[in-house]
Amino acid sequence: MNTDTGRKPEQAVEQSRCCTFLIADKCFAFDSDLVIEVLQKGVINNVPLASPAISGLLNLRGRIVPAIDLRTFLEFSPASSSVQQINIIVDIRNEWYCFLVDQLLDVTAYDSHQITPRSNTLFDVITGVLPTASHLIHFLSPEKILKRLLEIKPRTLSVG
Amino acid sequence: MADNEEFISEFLVEASESLDQLDQDLVALEKQPHDSDRLASIFRTVHTIKGTCGFFGFTKLSSLSHHGEHLLGLLRDGKVRFNKTLASLLLELVDAIRTFLSSIESTGKEGDVSFSDLCQRLDGACVTTNTDSLIRKQESASSTTGSIEQSDHGNNPKSTPAYERNPTSSVVPELIENDRPDATLNPDTTPETDSTPNTGPESGEANARPTNTLDATIRVDVQLLDTIVDLVGELVLARNQLRTTVTVEPALLDAVNRIHNVTGELQEVAMKTRMAPIDQLFNKFPRIVRDVAATCDKEVSLHVDGADTELDRTLIEKIRDPLTHLIRNAVDHGIEPTDIRASVGKPSTGQLSLRAFQESGQVTIEVSDDGAGISVDAVRKKAVEKGLVTAAMAADMSAERIFQFIFEPGFSTAHAVTNISGRGVGMDVVRTNIESIGGTIDISSQSGVGTVVRVRIPLTLAIIPALIVSSGNQRLAIPQSYIQELVGLRENGKSHMIEGLEGAPVLRLRNRLIPVVYLDRWLGLREWKNRPHTGAVVVVKVDNHEFGLVIDAVTTSEDQNSHATETTGLWFIVVKAISSLLAPMGIYSGATVMGDGSVVLILDLRGITIAADIPAHARRAVAPQSKDNDFKEMRQEDSRYLVCETHLGRRVAVPLNQVQRLENFPESEVNPAGNIHFVKRNGELTQLIDPDQMLHTSKTSLQNDTNSDLVGIILPDELGNKALSVRKIIDVEPGHGSLEETIHEDCLLGTLLVGNTATEILDIPAAIRSLDGKQPS
Repeated sequence: MNTDTGRKPEQAVEQSRCCTFLIADKCFAFDSDLVIEVLQKGVINNVPLASPAISGLLNLRGRIVPAIDLRTFLEFSPASSSVQQINIIVDIRNEWYCFLVDQLLDVTAYDSHQITPRSNTLFDVITGVLPTASHLIHFLSPEKILKRLLEIKPRTLSVG
Repeated sequence: MADNEEFISEFLVEASESLDQLDQDLVALEKQPHDSDRLASIFRTVHTIKGTCGFFGFTKLSSLSHHGEHLLGLLRDGKVRFNKTLASLLLELVDAIRTFLSSIESTGKEGDVSFSDLCQRLDGACVTTNTDSLIRKQESASSTTGSIEQSDHGNNPKSTPAYERNPTSSVVPELIENDRPDATLNPDTTPETDSTPNTGPESGEANARPTNTLDATIRVDVQLLDTIVDLVGELVLARNQLRTTVTVEPALLDAVNRIHNVTGELQEVAMKTRMAPIDQLFNKFPRIVRDVAATCDKEVSLHVDGADTELDRTLIEKIRDPLTHLIRNAVDHGIEPTDIRASVGKPSTGQLSLRAFQESGQVTIEVSDDGAGISVDAVRKKAVEKGLVTAAMAADMSAERIFQFIFEPGFSTAHAVTNISGRGVGMDVVRTNIESIGGTIDISSQSGVGTVVRVRIPLTLAIIPALIVSSGNQRLAIPQSYIQELVGLRENGKSHMIEGLEGAPVLRLRNRLIPVVYLDRWLGLREWKNRPHTGAVVVVKVDNHEFGLVIDAVTTSEDQNSHATETTGLWFIVVKAISSLLAPMGIYSGATVMGDGSVVLILDLRGITIAADIPAHARRAVAPQSKDNDFKEMRQEDSRYLVCETHLGRRVAVPLNQVQRLENFPESEVNPAGNIHFVKRNGELTQLIDPDQMLHTSKTSLQNDTNSDLVGIILPDELGNKALSVRKIIDVEPGHGSLEETIHEDCLLGTLLVGNTATEILDIPAAIRSLDGKQPS
């Protein structure tokens, strides 16, 4: 099923693995156990009036998956239209969600004790950071992103 | 023992079904204590459980059921009379058996619970009611079998005191033995039921269920069924893709057509496997109602309707808790205590009604009671107090929307709203649960009359007929069952035009005014100025609210052989639940995947009715409907006026219901024809009426004012193709106070306080009459 996040069997068993990607040239990561697959191309169907971070719905082999634009969610400036974003499909408690990112990097092994936990109230979706040779990896919690999105009240509607 | 495990799990499933049946039967028996068939069935069920437990070596459970069976035996044989206390006792027994079963299910053992107290009470019931049971038996014997039995009774007067002297449980078996000959003599008792207590568990099993239904049914894991349904859905999509691929090869076409037919049938069958009657859930409620009513000391009768309504079996499980909550609420808080009911002249027994039906791709479940109801004003006040809404907004909201506040977290924890206090506790949880499966919930209530809570849940994965419409670049599905008609909009035609001002557009259709919602504007699909002037209105009806959705076009089948029927443009779409991320928006009930793989959202018209506040919109549209009446009579204190300034700076106002549209046109477009001025609009000449001229401010004001554009207030078609010509529009404002009539001016209705300024109100019909009089023929 997994197309782009090629697993590396030689990695030590006790280590965790994360799937790293770039958004606005910053490095973020999901726990790779949550990642179901990665799609290079996906047609996202617009959902009018949905909150801005929800870019629409994706048809994944008959399964309707909401797509979340991490750029918007993390309040970066919108991607230029020429950039084809990558879809990372994530399982959150048996519901599938699609996260749009700029570029997929790698599946990286790490020791969980290396992570510096972060609990900034403003950005509680970032659970911790891990410095590596090339990047500072920000660990994202998909579940917390979802929770945050559900807290956003739908826009007020009026007749017209 | 390993083999046993399989049998045990089977036993657990069957037993829990039996227990549910017992709940129902006991509650029913309470209402009709003389239903001997039902009693016999209860007896058999308990007997079967007892027998099977013995077989598996669950001694405690077996002995507990034995005590119950004993009492039931006496009941069945008419030796003990059924009453409320016994019903409670037996229901307690059912619960106790459930406790054992759940312990067996989780640990494989019966557990340490002991129900010795319950056993004793069950035995006690056998004895304490014995005396009167005997009398009853003898009474019934005397009435049915005549003189022989009666003389029997006369000959054994000492038998009654004999039982009374030994009111301990130890004597009970003996008593039964004594009773046995009596029972067989008694023609009331059927001989074959009498023999069952002594038969082994095997024959009890055979008695309990008719074998023929068992042969035709198997138990299948629901997950397996779900997978099949999902895969069939995939197959349908693949089939659609295959069909859109043009081919000229006849053999291939043939095969594709066969696949098409088979897939269609397969899909239908797969869908059916998911459906189950809601009865599975409803049959739990008589017991719950009974228990809650007994706790609150109320009398409540439950009426169930539409228990055969089918819906997705996975949904049945998901609505269990919310519905239970609603039913408890209705009994506990909705229905008044007996004495209060009496004092307001209601029958002492409260009526609780549970109704399920399928409607437009959704299942509606209504829980209605004839209790105290909820006061809209109280909820409104509370909502304002809690800062959920401003007072001004609340005043303008419909009752439906006001009641939605009940579902706000912690809404009714305060006790200020006495008749709903407690009602809202957990209501937010109920709403969350319902919404998580893409459903909606709303309340309508009338203070003192009752409350109806309506839960609507989708038939997930069901196939529904729908219209696929487009607006902007967006395609949306509208379930067919809501659709009344489709009306085409023509740019210049006089019929089917959208009229109206101040954000409340209406469609005039056969002399009715239907509020409309511009889908593109409402959903923010494109810039307002980019909208085309043509399109269509889909007129829909939700409950009693009729409204129109303005769309660009209806999408008919993209290809000749898709699943849309060409003539009507209807599509049969597979409803898929949308993510819990989008369900709370309340304007989409689901989504479907089209043949090309794109996702189309299904509009939740009920949600839109609430979100767009159609009822309020419709109320605003009501006023112009009585247009033919005399305008003076029509004027109401709360009606609204379009205030404008004439070319000579006079402030005048026109009742808003006499305004169709506003249009700007350059002075150069005005063509004078004698004293009458015309302007060219849409290729037709529209006669301009100058208020200054009407009111004799000046004779020819139009010519004095050459540099600016005119504002034309287009009058309704009924008044002819006419427009008022003014310099500028000031505002739309409500009129206050009473109209002061002006006698001298024919063309004025009078002066009224509009906004905060006294304003002259134009009498348009009078003006037109006088104008028509002057017009050269």
